[in-house]
Amino acid sequence: MTKNSQSNTFLYGLLILYSGVTVIPFLWALSASFKPLAEIASGSIHFIPQQFTFANYQYIFTQEPLFMRWFFNSAVVAIGVTLFNLLFNSMAGYALARIRFPGNQFWFFLIVAVLVVPGQITLLPKFLILKSLGWLNSYAGLIVPSLVNATFIFMMRQFFINFPKELEEAAALDGLSRLETFFKIVLPLAKPALAAQTIFIFMGSWNEFLMPLVVMSDPEMFTLPLGLNAFKGQYISYWNYIMAASMIFTLPALAIYAFFNRYFIQGIAFSGGK
Amino acid sequence: MHRSFLQKLSHFGMAFLLLLSISGCHFGADNEYRDRTHLSQNSAITTITLSGWQSNPNESKILAAALDRFEQKYPEIRVKYEVINSQYMDVIKTRLIGEVAPDVFYLDALEAPLLMKYRVLEPLDAYITPDFNLADFNSALLQAFQYHNQLYGLPKDFSTLALFYNKKAFATAGIEPPPQTWQALQTVSQKLTRDRNQDGKIDQYGLGFAPELARQTFMIRAFGGQLINTQGCAAFANPAGLKGLQAVVDQYRRDRTAAQASDVGATWGSEMLGQEKAAMVIEGPWSIPYLKETFPEIEFATAEVPTIGEKKGTMAYTVAYVMNRQCQHKAAAWKLIAYLTGTDGMKAIATQGLTLPARKSVLAELGYENHPIYAAFVKGAHYATIWQAGEYLPTISAHFNNQFLSALFGEQSLETAMKKAQETANQEIYLSN
Amino acid sequence: MPRIWQRQRSQEALSGYFFMLPALFILSVFLVLPILSALILAFCKVQLLGEVRYQFTGIKNLLRMIADERVWIALKNTAEYVAIVVPIQTILALGLALILNTNIRGKKGFRIIFFMPTVTSSAVLTLIFMWIYNSDGLLNHILSFFNLPTYNWLGDPAIALKGIMLMNIWSTAPFFMVIYLAALQEIPASLYEAAQIDGANRWEQFFYITLPSLSPVTFFVIVMGIIGTFQLFDQSYIFSGGSGGPNNSTLTLVLLIYNYAFSNLDMGYALALTLMLAVVIMTVTLLQRTFFREEQVH
Repeated sequence: MTKNSQSNTFLYGLLILYSGVTVIPFLWALSASFKPLAEIASGSIHFIPQQFTFANYQYIFTQEPLFMRWFFNSAVVAIGVTLFNLLFNSMAGYALARIRFPGNQFWFFLIVAVLVVPGQITLLPKFLILKSLGWLNSYAGLIVPSLVNATFIFMMRQFFINFPKELEEAAALDGLSRLETFFKIVLPLAKPALAAQTIFIFMGSWNEFLMPLVVMSDPEMFTLPLGLNAFKGQYISYWNYIMAASMIFTLPALAIYAFFNRYFIQGIAFSGGK
Repeated sequence: MHRSFLQKLSHFGMAFLLLLSISGCHFGADNEYRDRTHLSQNSAITTITLSGWQSNPNESKILAAALDRFEQKYPEIRVKYEVINSQYMDVIKTRLIGEVAPDVFYLDALEAPLLMKYRVLEPLDAYITPDFNLADFNSALLQAFQYHNQLYGLPKDFSTLALFYNKKAFATAGIEPPPQTWQALQTVSQKLTRDRNQDGKIDQYGLGFAPELARQTFMIRAFGGQLINTQGCAAFANPAGLKGLQAVVDQYRRDRTAAQASDVGATWGSEMLGQEKAAMVIEGPWSIPYLKETFPEIEFATAEVPTIGEKKGTMAYTVAYVMNRQCQHKAAAWKLIAYLTGTDGMKAIATQGLTLPARKSVLAELGYENHPIYAAFVKGAHYATIWQAGEYLPTISAHFNNQFLSALFGEQSLETAMKKAQETANQEIYLSN
Repeated sequence: MPRIWQRQRSQEALSGYFFMLPALFILSVFLVLPILSALILAFCKVQLLGEVRYQFTGIKNLLRMIADERVWIALKNTAEYVAIVVPIQTILALGLALILNTNIRGKKGFRIIFFMPTVTSSAVLTLIFMWIYNSDGLLNHILSFFNLPTYNWLGDPAIALKGIMLMNIWSTAPFFMVIYLAALQEIPASLYEAAQIDGANRWEQFFYITLPSLSPVTFFVIVMGIIGTFQLFDQSYIFSGGSGGPNNSTLTLVLLIYNYAFSNLDMGYALALTLMLAVVIMTVTLLQRTFFREEQVH
């Protein structure tokens, strides 16, 4: 008993230590975002700001008029990409799993094959294709190429293959078409898989840096990670502003994480176990 | 449990719709904007996009004011100003490739040769009228934007480097006047390098410096070295070219009286000076407003860069307005360039004191030649090395910076490092052709 | 397959393609077409600025790669990175998962906290760490408080990559921790019960049951770690302002590709490098798949 509680104390010690390691960088950034520049420049290491101020946040919103625009761009792209992915990946996954059509096997093979190809290889040709479409510097240039995701088509196929057939049989007897069955019966029951997708695709898109860097060159079209990087370029030694901007950027992702965190863990376990 | 997820998802969908409706307003605004340009075809209002970078928020305020005056003078032209603050040239090149480049943009002399060679810029000679008075420009600056006898850019301003020093630190160490020669600079650096609280860590270095080719080219030339040969390839790795650089390395490694910004937790030279982590730095006029605003309690003064090898030397940087060859409204774009580089436009922007005006008449009018702080920069213009050296300079500079740093950190001798920098740079130049 | 639907074969084919249409369209334009054009353009010299010109140059780009010192530096950095980051993050992930798999109270809360770095953007994390790594910053203050040596984390070429490594271990270990956690929960309790009856102590249980059961997952985690390392870009780009400096110490392959493509405008050579990267990653992935399958058979 005592041995057990001793080892428990030890484990708690480890967990708390690692929690500290995890949280301190965030807290330090948060604290810097409430400090005036003078306090930061003085090199003091107080976690609680000596002269607490909201001025940094205020400054960002008033002096960096594009900040809201970047936020908006990120939201449009991330939400748009997520919603379309949920729909299109599920549709394709369902077709591959359940519908017998000529070429079914071939397309499935092709999707598995492209899964092996790393994304970087497509970056530069994608840039050239978007250029010829005239889509550089537009939402379409960021959203359309990511409307579907081969990994999640694959995942959805695996999910639908194990899906009970009886429901579809019943729907067919009720006279529902494929389309109706899919939207009314199948999709509502695919929630866990959709949840996992939502989180991964949203987070991936929200945090993406390389693709927007290549596609968006007009500051008005930047997404937040690019804006943040540009902001850093301009306010190179103004760590108070940089940290405040970072905090604003991090909040939505953390909120979604808090919101969906259970599905998040499931989703990862799912992706790891496949 | 599952229902709650769907609910969450539908909340999400709602939020997205809400966002789209807001974006509707945005697009509405865009449409309005387009209407305006559309209208422009009828009532001849054209929109010109102008891209540049800004080194502080004040700078764009002053430019915006100048653009307002421009729009008042030419009501048929609207200017859309975009600030690009990260990897400016990568962005501009990408936009030129993507054919979404701005009509008028800033171009650093460093990158001018490449863009002039690829014919993506509009030659400006045909637009220049006698009353624009091209002869008023500093001719060395104009030369930086000439290629095959055509002029592709009009310098908006220039900057040289001078020695900034902390007056209080000089007084404490009993130094007067500021060092005139590089030997003197090294001697006073020793006096100025101090461990104030005796913790074994130096709090104030004598000199703060930037180990970059952009800042050190004049050191290569000080003893007769050359940065590039006639083919535009790197040619600095010889005893003459290295002698000046060796002085920098020695002061850093042997004397330990100089520091780079990252050694002391700063991001650039003037921040070191402001935080009293360096008593002297070699920086440009852009530091003057910065120091006054960010570190008002620091009393600083400037002097010419100390002579090295009995020669005066410093760097000069210049940026021009250039016109995109694919610009749809070239006449209007020229009006904008002519206004901003004209006497009035240039004066309005030069008064903020970040840089020096490229027109001799404006420079004289603002009285910088006799200004206690700015005079050193104006004098420097007579003997400065302009930061430009053919189309391969960005490549040479990247290799130099890498190897010079490794010499500073003692990973290899300066000679080995510079030989390697020269070889690898030239190899890359050769292979890319 | 419901019989009613099966009877209408053409209808089925039609709805099949209807369901597949968006995916097929997007994948062919933005995945298959780019892959094919990359395969071709990697053997060309491509000029994009001004006049667009393509010129077939054969294997010149491949030869250039071998002679390009920066390619080798990027590969060396990656190798160093793999050698240090992958083992540490794997062990850390396993350790945390083992602790959280015990009947300890409040583990859910810990799990949520541990996971925060994984959901935060790499752009933000990089900025936060640059701020902490500042010579006068938090990390050096903590180190000097414990009388440990301090470093110029951002400026010293010998240290800069270590800084990025530290940050990446910190931010990716929790991700792998969750994968381990899921795998741990799938180990049948009966195995442990049987071992206990046989008189095995905790260590023996760990070495003879837990670790062997986890080996496919460990393999997965290691391979994912290696692939992630090859794809490193954001951190190096922001850390070094795009240059891969100081002294190429934070240069990665993807950053090098980006620089050749968008600073040097050498698209053909950049694509050749991309091809090389793709071959490396695909080899690692295929190795993982073959091994993974074999493991599952046993």
